[in-house]
Amino acid sequence: MEDEILQEFLAESWENLGRLDTEIVQLEREPSNLNLLGSIFRTIHTIKGTCGFIGLSRLGLVAHATENVLGRMRDGRLEVSPPAVSLVLDGIDRIKELLAGLEEGGQEPNLNSNELIHRLDLLASLGDPIPKVSAEPEMELVEPEATPEPVAAPVEPMASKPEQSDRTPAPLTGMTEISVLEPAPVMAEPVVAAVRTAADTNESPEAGADGRKSVADLSIRVNVDVLDLLMNLVGELVLTRNQLLQLVRGEEESRFSAPISLLNRVTTDLQEGVMKTRMQPIGNAWSKLPRLVRDLCRLTSKMVELEMLGAETELDRTVLDAIKDPLTHMVRNSVDHGIESPAVRRQMGKTEHGTLRLRAYHEGGHVIICVEDDGKGIDAQRVLRKALDQGLITEVEAASMSDSEIQKLIFRPGFSTAEQITSVSGRGVGMDVVRTEIERIGGTVELNSIFGQGTTIRIKIPLTLAIISALVVESGSIHFAIPQLGVVELVRVPAEERKRIERIHDQQVFRLRNRLLPLIELREVLGLEASTQDDDVDLYIVVVQVGEEQLGLIVSEVFDTQEIVVKPVGRLLKDINVYQGTTILGDGRVIMILDVAGIAGRYSNNSNQTTTAANAGRNESEDQIEPTSLLVVSTEDDRLLAVPLSLVSRLEEFPRTSIEWSGDRMLVQYRGHLLPLVNLADSRSRGPLRDLQPVVVFSDGSNALGLIVDQIKDILEEPLIIRNGTKRSGTLGTAVIDGKATDVIDTQHYLKMTNPNWFRREAQASVRRLLVVVESLFFRQLVRTACEAAGFRVTIAETVTRAEEMLEHGDVFDAILCDADGQDPRLTQLSDWARKGSGGEERPIVVLTGAEFSEFHDSLRACGADVVLPKFDPQELTTSLKDLWHQRARSKGVLS
Amino acid sequence: MKTILLVDDSRAVRLATRRMLGQSNCSILEAEDGSEALTVLKSHPEIDAILLDWNMPIMDGITFLKTVRSDGHLPQPKIVMCTTEGEFSRIMDALQSGANEYIMKPYTQEIMLEKLQEVGVL
Repeated sequence: MEDEILQEFLAESWENLGRLDTEIVQLEREPSNLNLLGSIFRTIHTIKGTCGFIGLSRLGLVAHATENVLGRMRDGRLEVSPPAVSLVLDGIDRIKELLAGLEEGGQEPNLNSNELIHRLDLLASLGDPIPKVSAEPEMELVEPEATPEPVAAPVEPMASKPEQSDRTPAPLTGMTEISVLEPAPVMAEPVVAAVRTAADTNESPEAGADGRKSVADLSIRVNVDVLDLLMNLVGELVLTRNQLLQLVRGEEESRFSAPISLLNRVTTDLQEGVMKTRMQPIGNAWSKLPRLVRDLCRLTSKMVELEMLGAETELDRTVLDAIKDPLTHMVRNSVDHGIESPAVRRQMGKTEHGTLRLRAYHEGGHVIICVEDDGKGIDAQRVLRKALDQGLITEVEAASMSDSEIQKLIFRPGFSTAEQITSVSGRGVGMDVVRTEIERIGGTVELNSIFGQGTTIRIKIPLTLAIISALVVESGSIHFAIPQLGVVELVRVPAEERKRIERIHDQQVFRLRNRLLPLIELREVLGLEASTQDDDVDLYIVVVQVGEEQLGLIVSEVFDTQEIVVKPVGRLLKDINVYQGTTILGDGRVIMILDVAGIAGRYSNNSNQTTTAANAGRNESEDQIEPTSLLVVSTEDDRLLAVPLSLVSRLEEFPRTSIEWSGDRMLVQYRGHLLPLVNLADSRSRGPLRDLQPVVVFSDGSNALGLIVDQIKDILEEPLIIRNGTKRSGTLGTAVIDGKATDVIDTQHYLKMTNPNWFRREAQASVRRLLVVVESLFFRQLVRTACEAAGFRVTIAETVTRAEEMLEHGDVFDAILCDADGQDPRLTQLSDWARKGSGGEERPIVVLTGAEFSEFHDSLRACGADVVLPKFDPQELTTSLKDLWHQRARSKGVLS
Repeated sequence: MKTILLVDDSRAVRLATRRMLGQSNCSILEAEDGSEALTVLKSHPEIDAILLDWNMPIMDGITFLKTVRSDGHLPQPKIVMCTTEGEFSRIMDALQSGANEYIMKPYTQEIMLEKLQEVGVL
């Protein structure tokens, strides 16, 4: 029974302590604020008082000593000085430790606090001419070992508590009022406030009749797991509701329509209610920061003013939990690395006090949190040096980086600029962790730093991860969802008024109530083909708000608003900033949710940097593509060539004398085999071989090949984007590597050239190898049987992840067969798979789906499927596969 | 059946006290500070006794006590001040202001029931 009292005690203590840190830091600034002192004193006093009831002697003693000091301060007998406050904070920390231990083990942890208590008592005695007069008896009261007599009686009913909790090893389960307590002190204000308003209205006569109905009965604490479960269930309910609405649409006569419309209303209310239970003000995540900043300032001898604006901004508790640690880290960074010491600041003409400003506000369906300091900013040169020292980038990369690119290096794993490891920084957590954490919950981090003036980090996180209201639109025959929060208005542009869309330079604009609204053609942004290019159809402009600005998205059709359940986008799409998620509509269709801010960002890039468009495009796409290790070589005719390092088996230097001629082909004895050599240089510009000839050795299974090069230049980590513009034989195309146009070697071409028979034989004789990515066991067997019957060798991957592992591992497949139903959205990486680990060869991808609507088929094709087939016609499947291979072979000229 | 109002800013203390009164067949009301206690008192004139904590936010116990005792329109239940050593020196103030009894925190069930008997509530 007493467990319940203990839990209540823990809960209220955490709540109160959460508020305490902020109050104490404020107290240091306003030492004479009696209200503040009273409140702090009361918190500790309450803890101490309750300890007596529950028989928590260790905690009671610490709380008592701390309370004594605070009492002296309150009575004006002791000065509120920084050292005194520090000691009080030590006391509070110990109280927290004891509470945490108590929470975990059900008993007071065995911490020795004698020394701390002694120091607190000494401090208290400074303010007291006759020390310990009132302190002594109380300490005896709560210390059972010291004076068993007086304690035995008062504590008796609770004394059985420890044994009880021994008997019930999991004291947290089976509770009715409290299920799980937060380990950290959150939820301070809202609960108290709610209780208070509730109590005010609880004056009705019938409440009087029922004497037991009182404050404590009006608020309950609920396990967060229960809230999460509720949220999930509501999500499912919303989807079902949407499906029902879809079913009765256009059938107002239906006898279901009335109950469904009621269900609709109730579901909406329920959803709002559940969402509300999960919302918390961001101030809860901030409450520890004033204390943190204060402690950091004392450690680093800096002066920092912490401003917190928008603490009341609410967001979902899961989101709130996720940002706590990253926020703490950023604040720590700002004080430690950002803000200068008072002396330096004075020299620079700044105020001695640095300012660290936290701001939170809503923007669209997001919460924006800014951490701004007016410190020294990020020194790009120093970051660059460190990054080079730590081997994060190469000299070559460094040379071409812009300042903002350099600043972004601080988000790289392993990066640290701290000159020395202090107790503040250098704890092994870097900004990369901050970014990873934020991105994990669908947020983004932006960094903006001006050297000498300060740094602003802007975090954008979704308000909730669960359900949003969205407008469904159509563009290029595909449906998309736009979060309703960002939508300001909808404008229909009738076909005959199209001329109202004007062009200024390259920018389309629309005159909306005497204001020029910049327009973005959604179709163009998303790279979709125009559906019907009739100029005489109406257009729609969705006016959206992005930050301070408004802009219009041109779409071909606007449908209704729906409550949608947000599912995250796949890993591969994550960096494409135009989508913020996917969802399932009432009719079962999967559609993408647009990220309006991302689209606007893209637009502003385009419009501001038209002159450097090519450059910007390059940077942008490079940011999105994983860097590849590339070997760069040169030939005698001064061509630069590159090849993915993963394809290279060795770099050798053969003595000229070891190279033999056989007819018109060069060979060298290499590891017991004859290695055919090919000179990459144009035959006209070839000179004699070097004494020690550099050779790049490739191998593909049992066959190997050496390419004679002039020089091995470098190994670079760069995103490989091959442009096919200047395709010449033996290359896959040209890529810009390290700022220079470089041909990418087609190793397959040379392997074929040196041994055409081998390749042909291999291609014809070998059994076709098929990678089948199907989750459903039943369907898998169906496919396997069909394919094996057709003479293919089948490898099964149950999941996309498994398939990727196989491809990554270099397992050889001639085609990939994939089930689009029930797979996660990562199917969008299809085009990626075509080449993955294939040595440059592009293998066909066949996708099977049970869905019949053509949009979905189109989107699969857009993702890289060569053929989309319905489920399931074995004949059609095998024919398609054979056709695809035939086409490939013919286009390569291998088969006639 | 008697009605008792518990005024304390600690939920844990209220819960513990409620437990102690569990067998006494009382109707129990709660308030978490003096001002809330005033509201409850106004709407529950049947309250027989108040267990009143001293140190609370918004309105502390002694202020509540003085407010109640000086307002003739309010019901006048028995009031037991629950004090710790910190307020002990001021206990005379409370008694002079109209408290009927005082009890040292932390109290036991026995002592509390005894005090309530002394003020004639049980």
